[in-house]
Amino acid sequence: MKLKRVMGVVATGIWLWSGMPSAHGQKATEIFIPIGQSPGLSNTISVIGTIETLDPRGHTIAIAGASGGWSATITGRTKIWLDKSKLRLTNEKGTFADLRRGQLVEVKYEDPEGRSKAKGPADWIKVQITEPSAKAGETRQ
Amino acid sequence: MDYRNLMSWTVRPQVVRSVVSAFSVIITVTSCAPVSPPDPQATLIAKGKEIFFNERFNGNGRTCGTCHPLQNNFTLDPAFIATLPATDALFVAEFNPDLKKSFENPTLMRQFGLILENLDGFDDLENKFVMRGIPHVLALRTSVNSPQGPRTGWSGDGAPGDGSLRSFATGAVIQHFTKTLNRIPGVDFRLPTDEELNALEAFQLSLGRQQDLTLPLALKGTVPKRGQAIFLDNGLGKCNLCHVNAGATANFGGGNIGNANFNTGVENLPDQPARLTGEKVPPDDGLGTPGDGTFNTPPLVEAADSGPFFHNNAIETIEGAVAFYNGQAFNNSPSGRALAAGDPNGIGIRLDATQVVAVAAFLRVVNTLENIRESIALLESSLDKHGMEAKELLDRAVSETGDSIRVLEGGGLHPEAVARLQEAKRLTRKANRSIFLRRKLTREAIEEQQRARAFLVETA
Repeated sequence: MKLKRVMGVVATGIWLWSGMPSAHGQKATEIFIPIGQSPGLSNTISVIGTIETLDPRGHTIAIAGASGGWSATITGRTKIWLDKSKLRLTNEKGTFADLRRGQLVEVKYEDPEGRSKAKGPADWIKVQITEPSAKAGETRQ
Repeated sequence: MDYRNLMSWTVRPQVVRSVVSAFSVIITVTSCAPVSPPDPQATLIAKGKEIFFNERFNGNGRTCGTCHPLQNNFTLDPAFIATLPATDALFVAEFNPDLKKSFENPTLMRQFGLILENLDGFDDLENKFVMRGIPHVLALRTSVNSPQGPRTGWSGDGAPGDGSLRSFATGAVIQHFTKTLNRIPGVDFRLPTDEELNALEAFQLSLGRQQDLTLPLALKGTVPKRGQAIFLDNGLGKCNLCHVNAGATANFGGGNIGNANFNTGVENLPDQPARLTGEKVPPDDGLGTPGDGTFNTPPLVEAADSGPFFHNNAIETIEGAVAFYNGQAFNNSPSGRALAAGDPNGIGIRLDATQVVAVAAFLRVVNTLENIRESIALLESSLDKHGMEAKELLDRAVSETGDSIRVLEGGGLHPEAVARLQEAKRLTRKANRSIFLRRKLTREAIEEQQRARAFLVETA
């Protein structure tokens, strides 16, 4: 009985420090993976499509893809990455200001069920950049 | 046999023709023998092995095997690194001008087996990096899964994409295979295809143990047996709480929770070897960005022959690794304090020197038992193989047996088992050189391995 109590305390204590946050995904190298090539995510967990509308006030975007439409909210936690791999340039960090209608994007929601819910805060957004002169904040349609 | 008579033979052309003809018949019969259809999983694993050791992904010359060499338990240590030629792709930062800065630290690599990782991003390469040891990739089938998802690498978050072992190679190519620091796919490297990821995953999952031990084992050695008792005693060693059955999963009394992360205070160790050099070694904050200070639990069965230990290779010996849990760094850490909170006397872990050595002796013996299991599997597998395939299996058995010998000798354990293992190694080497006696010698080597095992543990 005593041992069980001790074990219970130990369990609670250690569990508190045992890395409860999701272990899914080392984000650092994700920035370099082009749209559609993220292993185990692209087109299964994430969504790929073009930006239909942008709402700068609500910080949301609507995306139209081959298999449906989605919306995503850009929060302070959302990473925006400029995918310049088509230009054979290094991918870079971006901001909401880099998003334009008609751009191809890949969105991973924070919620693993985000794709089926078709909305929610985005964990990351990759934006395809196809113009050689485009830099962060200077993207043009 | 009188070899002088043989030497005095005059070899006539018709004799040569007869011998060649006889071998031709044997070869023809062998090659026409019915062949069973290839096992798809075995084919996938073989493909994964080929990719793991030979595919460079159009990068800087490294393969997965550069840092996870087969002949060194799929990990690197300074002694092994010292045997590599200066042109080895591991040292690419020393001869590729594009990778000279902010890709590796050759001093720390050569002295301590440390590799540079940009786990918190690539936007400040000079300052944002960590220096980590290379975990082996054995027994991954037992160690990757957790309720929070797969855990790979030292902090459990080593893979991009879905974070799985399958995705790990993609992140590794981007981090370690690039030709330049631009890291442009299609220019500096190519990313693995889905098929390659499937094959690499299958190969890695096939390595080493496929299941956990069931402790306690019926050990024969007095000190290892005591070490096992301390290991399993949740009021004394407390090791089995986070390393159930000397594996990589945790159980605090409510059932096995799978692989877990803990903050054990390794980062707070004083006099860490890498930092003593004066080289830049930023703090490693573990899982996540910013990190939460936790690191992933490795399996212990494979530990004794795959040091140095912990994520920063801070400790060289298995005895030192056990002793770490006696120190202030651990006992002041969140995990140490949690253990103390659950202890009737408020003690985290406190072992005396004899107890530290006993736990280490236990870990040395379970490691040797695993090496013997693997050696016997390799030897048995070689009996059905020919040529280079058999040779490779026998070479690996020699290497595993060498590990067994070193691990036992390093702890002054079981000299009679060491003698049997040395004989097994001699027989295996001889088998590898013999054309006609290979199978016979291999079977004798298996028997020696079994005799060695019988000195360590009661066998059914």
